[in-house]
Parts: sequence; structure tokens; C-alpha cells
Amino acid sequence: MRPVIKASLHYLALAIISVIWLIPVYAMLINGFKSNFEVLSTPVLVPPTKITFEAYASVLLSLAKPLINSLIIVIPTSFISAFLGAMGAYFFYTLSYSFSRASSAISDVLFSLISLATFIPQEATLLPLTRLMVSMGFLDTYIGIIFALLIFYIPTGALLMSMFITVIPRSLIEAAKMDGTGDLKIFMKIVFPLSMPGFISTLIFIIIQTWNNFFIPLVLVTTPGMKPTSIAVLSYSGAYGTLYNDTFAAGMLASIIPLAIFVFLGRYFIRGLMALGGGGKGV
Amino acid sequence: MKKGTIILVVPTAVFSAILLYLVIWNAVISFMNWSLLNSKPTFVGLETYATVVRTFQFTNSLLHSIELSVSLVIIGNILGILIAALLYFLNSNKARSIFLSIVIYPLAISMAVNGLIWLWLFNIHIGVDWLLVRIGLPQIPWLSSTSTMFPSLILVTVWAYTGIAALFYLAGFMNIDKTIVEAARLDGTSAFKILYKILIPNSLNSFIIATALLFLFSFRIFDLPYVLSGGTTNIFLQTSELYMYYLFTVEYFSQATAVATIITLVATIIIIPYALTVIRRWIRR
Amino acid sequence: MVKIIVKNISKVFKKGKVIALDNVNITIENGERFGILGPSGAGKTTFMRIIAGLDVPSTGELYFDDKLVASNGKLLVPPEDRKIGMVFQTWALYPNLTAFENIAFPLTNMKMSKEEIRKRVEEVAKILDIHHVLNHLPRELSGGQQQRVALARALVKDPSLLLLDEPFSNLDARMRDSARALVKEVQSRLGVTLLIVSHDPADIFAIADRVGVLVKGKLVQVGKPEEVYDNPVSIQVASLIGEINELEGKVTNEGVVIGSFRFPVSISNDKVLIGIRPEDVKLSKDVIRDDAWTLVGKGRVKVIGYQGGLFRITITPLNSDDEIFTYSDHPIHSGEEVLVYVKKDKIKVFEKN
Repeated sequence: MRPVIKASLHYLALAIISVIWLIPVYAMLINGFKSNFEVLSTPVLVPPTKITFEAYASVLLSLAKPLINSLIIVIPTSFISAFLGAMGAYFFYTLSYSFSRASSAISDVLFSLISLATFIPQEATLLPLTRLMVSMGFLDTYIGIIFALLIFYIPTGALLMSMFITVIPRSLIEAAKMDGTGDLKIFMKIVFPLSMPGFISTLIFIIIQTWNNFFIPLVLVTTPGMKPTSIAVLSYSGAYGTLYNDTFAAGMLASIIPLAIFVFLGRYFIRGLMALGGGGKGV
Repeated sequence: MKKGTIILVVPTAVFSAILLYLVIWNAVISFMNWSLLNSKPTFVGLETYATVVRTFQFTNSLLHSIELSVSLVIIGNILGILIAALLYFLNSNKARSIFLSIVIYPLAISMAVNGLIWLWLFNIHIGVDWLLVRIGLPQIPWLSSTSTMFPSLILVTVWAYTGIAALFYLAGFMNIDKTIVEAARLDGTSAFKILYKILIPNSLNSFIIATALLFLFSFRIFDLPYVLSGGTTNIFLQTSELYMYYLFTVEYFSQATAVATIITLVATIIIIPYALTVIRRWIRR
Repeated sequence: MVKIIVKNISKVFKKGKVIALDNVNITIENGERFGILGPSGAGKTTFMRIIAGLDVPSTGELYFDDKLVASNGKLLVPPEDRKIGMVFQTWALYPNLTAFENIAFPLTNMKMSKEEIRKRVEEVAKILDIHHVLNHLPRELSGGQQQRVALARALVKDPSLLLLDEPFSNLDARMRDSARALVKEVQSRLGVTLLIVSHDPADIFAIADRVGVLVKGKLVQVGKPEEVYDNPVSIQVASLIGEINELEGKVTNEGVVIGSFRFPVSISNDKVLIGIRPEDVKLSKDVIRDDAWTLVGKGRVKVIGYQGGLFRITITPLNSDDEIFTYSDHPIHSGEEVLVYVKKDKIKVFEKN
């Protein structure tokens, strides 16, 4: 087969896959600019005959509070989780040096716990979580939602940072020990600054996860004023799935921030993962 | 151990402990008979489990969860390998980066929003079917027919999560010594043969990671089936998670926690050995 | 200024499958400069790490003066409390800190004022001639400068023991000599006990008062470098500390025979290993009338090479494939016959085991 044909087939395959994969975001984009009548009567995949901003206008105002709620929740949660998790990750690193049997046992137990917290369905802790939040008076509060998210995301941060921290050469930490430095100082002055790329990757990952987190707010928020965007979007669909142009506009607005982070900064996270999965070249 | 060292782990340990506490509390409630009809719950041992396990919804939803996971693992791995291969043989790093982002971006969007969009795409009049009919393909009933409902869910899940598998396979491929591939290229080996004789056999690590992640993500998926069902009562789309939530909404609390504990157990059995071996090995190098 | 006592220390890895150190016993005196020589994988780095406190002996005891710091798998005194300055093979400089901050780092862990710290750092930097680059990050410095920063960091806290782990291996050959001289000078100025670990005998000769040779985890010989050089206890030790020709020969009434060579040595085994260093071999076309040199026999030049300004000449006995080599300032062409002389008292004899 001639190389030119091969190359064209190659790109064709990629193009087909790209088109299929992009259909939903394309639909979300164009239907937000249609009038309500057009959304209900014309095919989803057809661009609007006339671009109108009525959907965005009506949604922007009512999504403003949820957007702010999301920001208030996501920013502290992600920074705290990534940072405190990084500290925990360094702790694991120090355990791997220690010579006692007790430390391997502790290390195993803790490591299993953080893995569990990262991969377990959050929904499974529904009942006890709600009861705990209620008893602490955290229902419908920012603190409550943040606290509930931290239960899952600090361990997640610790797990991810455990992987990224391995790029730091052991000899640096040994040199610091020889210099009489305590572990907390080693973390603040050496480990944390040197693991910055990994920290940013972890941060990005947690930001996107917490921004889109649907379940925790679903369970812990009852007043409409406290809803973050992840649940607020649902209010734009009618009874049993009827959709309007508002739905698409709302969906777009809710997704803009994580998508933007993904598009602009996502490559750091991907690079970080690929460097671990082995061979971070070429992306 | 010095004070300065212990401080490092306190937040992580505390929050992990809280999680453990929640999981255990879940289990404790499941051994009681707390429900709408029984507001003063008492200890009943495994009775609640016995009741729940016998319901149609339990087995139905469990089967769905398993079916979803197995489908995602199989399709995700195959598609993931193919996409990774297509990306691997590209010559431009930029193009590779762009196409990779295209298959992964669904994860940046909330699953609830994804669900809403697909609900509309699945509309038999003006959704994707409009295009299919125009090309001359048959109209697929998607969510309107009980036989195609669940496959539709599988479709969306594949669309959302295959990117992860592709990412890890690509990482694995790029980690293989380039000179081996170049030598094969010089010998005139076709891309397919390179894929199947060199790339895939050296991708055991990627396979393990991709499979575990695909399984875990699909097993715990909630937002998507919730939105596609419009609630928790659609039997045909009900996964174990949804069933659990349903029980909670109808206030059969002990039953809900029983299902939750079963789900947690399944997840734990997969996660813990995986974490202690694969991830640890990765870290220890 | 500390005395190190290593008592019966052994170290095993992988549940006993790998023996890194096998019953090592040595006392390093206060202020002594001690070298550990051995091939890679022999346990040198493990030994150093145990002294540093970065690892513990599986069995045995380690004393600093009269204080027990580690024993039988237990770390009693951690590295940060042992008053040790260490220069790692890769220097391990903190890449995100300037040279000044790197050197100051150990001092910031002690209760010292900023002024005092600055004074000390500048003092050490002046001695090591890096005063002018203190504001740079490690990656902006040359290899030699980085090494001196690492040395400064080790010395600035006035340690009792200085550990050097293959400190010159990342330097160009030209720099190594001046680096070795620097280390020796600094040590004599401060009087600190010094332990240097290396596979390069040049380091040992330049710096160490005594050397311990580690082979497969065992300390096979300890002594002054010159003594070990002249009287190695095995052919392996001989080859670790310098170049040596190794020949296996048969014992006869007339000495040890290897082809047309006859070494005037009397010994009772029937098979023996002869070692002779290249500088103790001399080639000549004509007879040499000098009692210092003893004729061993006729040989033929096999091949000649050129190394370090001298010709490296490999010769074989007339009727055998064994080879010996020596250095000469004039070439002799291959195929030519020569008379081979050696220094009789420098012949080393080892048992063949």
C-alpha cells in the first residue's frame, strides 16, 4: 500500500474517531445558541439558523450563585487536599526508609486506606455521611460540603502525590538528613518545591473532580441557594428529561471552567501520568 | 518517631480514619432492620441481607453493574489499544497531544451534564437518529426501547472512559525502546504487525492499570445512569448504586446500607490487592 | 574527631540471599584518613551507608568513640545526630537552592544567628575557592565547583567525621588531582576523621593513611597503601590497587615455568599464580648487567599500544599464549624477540585455589 494512501487512512481513522467523540460537546455548544423553539423542533446536530443569546441570558443570572458556590467549594478543597495529601505522601516516603517492622505494617494499612478512599464509590457512604454531617450541623453549609469532599480527596491527593514524589532522588533527602534536618522542614524546603509539577497535576485532577462532583452536594444540600453548578444544571431539564435550550447553555457554562483547565493545563497532568506510566516524551 | 514527622501524616490519617469509620458504620446499620416501617431499629444479624438479596431488583441491578463493568473493560481495552496505536504512529507530537485530548475531554465534563446531552442525542426524532436515517441507516430506539436502553448506557460509558485506557496504553507504548520499533520499520514491517508483535506484548502494565481503572470507574458510576433514567426507578438502567440510592429514598435504610456494604466489599477486594502490589511496585521502582 | 569502631558487622539483603558485608572488623582512629577500596558491588557503599546511619547492620555493632550508635538491626543514633559531613557520589546538591543556601543548610538546623551563618559559610567558601559563585544555583556551576560546594556543605558544620563516597568519579581526569589535593589539605587543616570509599586506587594513594580492601563483603586486607601495593594478600587485591600481570605456572626444580619464562621462585605447591607489576618488568634486546634486574627468559612482542605518553608492550613467552605487558619509552615492533627481565624481590606468588 502506498505511503500516501496509508497516511490518509490513518488520518481518516483519527478524524472519524474525533468527530464521534466531539459530537456531544458540539451539540452542547450549538444548541445553547438556538431559540427554544428551534431546539425542540430542529435536529440536535444541525447548527442554528439564527444565533440567539436568549438561553445564555436567562441562564447566566440564575447560574451565577451556583457558579460562585462551586468556586467557594472547589478552590479550598483542591488546594487543601493536594497540599495535605502531599505531606502524607512524603510521610510514606519516609516510612520506606525506616528499619522497623511496625512501619511496614503502618505503611500498608494507611496506603490501603488512601487507595480505598480514592476508588471507592462515594455513594456507598451515603447514609453514615449524611448522619455525620447532620450531627455536626454541616448540612447546607460550605464548610460541610468541603469537609465531606476532603474525606475523599485528601487521601486521593496523598495517593497521587505518592506517585509523583518518586521523581525526587533519594540522595537529596539523605543529604538533608545528614544535615540534621527534621522531616517537616525537609518537606517544606526541598520535597514540596521539587515536586511542584506533580503537585500541579494533582491539583488539576482534584479541581476537575470536585467541580464535577455530583453526589456529595446532592446529598448534603437542600436549600437551592447553596447548590453548586454540578447539581444546579439539573434544574434546567423539565420533568423526566425534557430539555430546553437553557439546558445546553447551562451545561456549557457549568463545564467551561473544568474544560478550560483541561484544555490549557491538562497537558501537565497527562505528562505527569505518562512520565509515571513510563516515558513522558512526546506529548 | 519524631514529632515533625508525624505531623506530616495527621491530616491524611485523620480523614482516612473518618472514611473507615463511615464504612464500618455502614456495615453496622446493615445488620439492623432500620426502615420507614421500623424507626427504632434493632439488631437482626444477616436478616436484612437475606431479604435484600432475594429481591428481583438486587440481582437485576447487580447483573447490570457487572455487565456494565465487563463491557467497559473489554471494549475499553480494545478501543484503547486501537486508539493508542493510531496515536503512537503519528509523527507530530502536537497532533498526538490534540487527538489524545479529544478522547479524554469527556472526563473534564460533569457526568450529569454528559447525561443530559446524551439524553437529547438519544432522542429518536431529532437526535443522532436524524443523521443515521439521513445516511440510510436504521433508526435505533436508544432509550425508548427496553432492549436498547442498557446498551445505550454502555455506549456513553465507553465514550467517557475509553480515553483513560488509551492514555495508559499510549504511555506504555512510548516506554518501549524506540530502536526496536525502528528496526522493525526498517525491515518493512507493517504497522499492524508492529502493534501485535511488539507493542501489545510489552503492554502488560498498561493492561493491568487500564483494566483496574475501567472496572473501578464503571462499577461506581452513579451520575450517568441517574440522569439517563431520570431518577432511580428505571429497572432497565438500574445499577447496584442506583438501587442503593433508591432504597435510601424510600427509606429502607438498613437495606440501603446492606447494598452499599456489598458494593464496598466488591470494590475493596479489587482495590486493596491492586494497590498493595501494582501501585506499590510502581512507587518502589 | 572521632574514633569509629566496627565490630563484627554483617549486612544481608533479600532475606539472607545477598550478603553485602561479611563480618567486618575495623577501627578507624581519631583523625585518621582511611580508604575503602574494592570493586563495585563489593559492599563499599553499604559500609559507608551504615557508618552514616542511612542503613543499619544486620548483625554487629558500631561505635563512635565509646557510644553505641547502631547494633543488630537497630538504629540507636540517627544520621542527623552523628555529626557527620558526607559528600555523595552525585553530590546531592539541592537544585532549588543557591550555593550559599546549600552550604548554609546544615547550619540553619542548628540554633545560629543569620550573621553567624553568613560568616561560617563565607569562611568555608573562601577555603574552597568558591566564594565568587555563592549566588548561583547548582545547575549554573561546573562539575568541579559543584563538588566543592558539596564539600563545603559537608565541612561547614564542623563535623567529627567526613565521609566521601566516590567523590571524584564525576570529575574530568584533569580536575581529579587538584580535587584530591584540596581534600587532603582541608582535612589536615581541620583534623577531622576521614573515610573515603573508592574503586580508583589513585584516590587511595593520594589521600589515605591506611586502606581496607573489601572483596565480596569481606575485608581481606588492611594496611598502608604502599604495603598493600607491595604485599597484596591475593591476586585480586593486587589488581584492585594497581595494574598487575597475572600468570599461571608450573612449579619445577628450577623455579616457576611459563613457556620460555622461568621465574626464580621456590615454593612447594605444584601449581601457582605469579604476579608481577608492569613497572617491575623490563625489556631489552641485549643482556642487562644490573643486579637489580633478573633474566626470566626470551619473549616475543605480540602487540604494542600507546598510553599516557608511553608505549604499552605486550609480550608472550616463545612457546605459549600467556601474556605480560609493560611500559616503555621507546617502541619495539611486534614479532621481535626480546629478553625479559624482572625485579626479583617484586615477584608476587599466590596460591592457586
